Amino acid sequence: MHIYAFGSVCRGDVSFGSDVDLLAIVHGHDSRFNTEDYSIYSYERVKEIWSEGNPFAWHLSLEAKLLYASDRLDFLESLGRPMHYRECRQDCERFFALFQEARESLKLHTRSMVFDLSMVFLAIRNFATCFSLGKLPGPDFSRNSALHLGAYNLSISTETYDVLERARLLSTRAVGPPVTDYEAASAFAQLPRIEEWMINLLKEVPKLCTTNSITV
Amino acid sequence: MHYEFNNRIAAQRTILRLVNRKSFGTEQLFGLSSKAIDRWVSVNHIEPSARIVNLVRQASSKLFFLANKSQQQISEEYSIVQAEIAATRDEIERELQALSSS
Repeated sequence: MHIYAFGSVCRGDVSFGSDVDLLAIVHGHDSRFNTEDYSIYSYERVKEIWSEGNPFAWHLSLEAKLLYASDRLDFLESLGRPMHYRECRQDCERFFALFQEARESLKLHTRSMVFDLSMVFLAIRNFATCFSLGKLPGPDFSRNSALHLGAYNLSISTETYDVLERARLLSTRAVGPPVTDYEAASAFAQLPRIEEWMINLLKEVPKLCTTNSITV
Repeated sequence: MHYEFNNRIAAQRTILRLVNRKSFGTEQLFGLSSKAIDRWVSVNHIEPSARIVNLVRQASSKLFFLANKSQQQISEEYSIVQAEIAATRDEIERELQALSSS
């Protein structure tokens, strides 16, 4: 069994809203681990995501810190670097679809409003992370990756960004004040700008993205 | 396989819309994490042992299991859990109807 920390705590960019991301690598099923506190992977699956060049593999490879190893060896380090990230386009399209589904839901319903705003935030963040991994010299796995892309940064009002981030915290860690109808309406009005940002960035990502440009 | 993640999100959204069709108090259910469910129960003074709470927790637990299905690469089991989530969703719908008519 191996346990790693990853995410904000390893980058030192902790904030009130950040938690500690933990990865457990186990043989088969291990019921000792709570799936809400740990990302649980088998050794085989970790090797697979390494060979796929999966963004999570890159995230772990570049940022994870070993906390415990039953064999006293750093399993992730032993795997070397993951394969080149090839699915930038597909992943960005997937998160664009996630954004569009949340936007459609916000148009039609108020009964999942906070969750849908939370999904907009997640789509923005993951889209930006995949874009940075596939297109930029250095990947950004942080919560605010969309604001760390230089010329490709998402440009929306701070108020809207904060509402989306608050919704994310409400739907996951259940902290913070509820989003008001006024705040939700203001955020909704900015969704076309987010859509435009995603469409413009998609134009920068070739359909067959065969290499990433990571410098580590 | 690529859109499994989006499918799980859609399943969560369906359950949230269903639960939030009924007003339980001042706050909607914002998500299906344990903490979001705890907040919903606490803020709205819902009886923690109520059947609706148990059903929502069941749905949550199954969705988190799917998110971590990588610990067991068994596609058959994945399909079974997907069917269980659909069944729990139907049970939630029936429970909400029962609550509305009581």
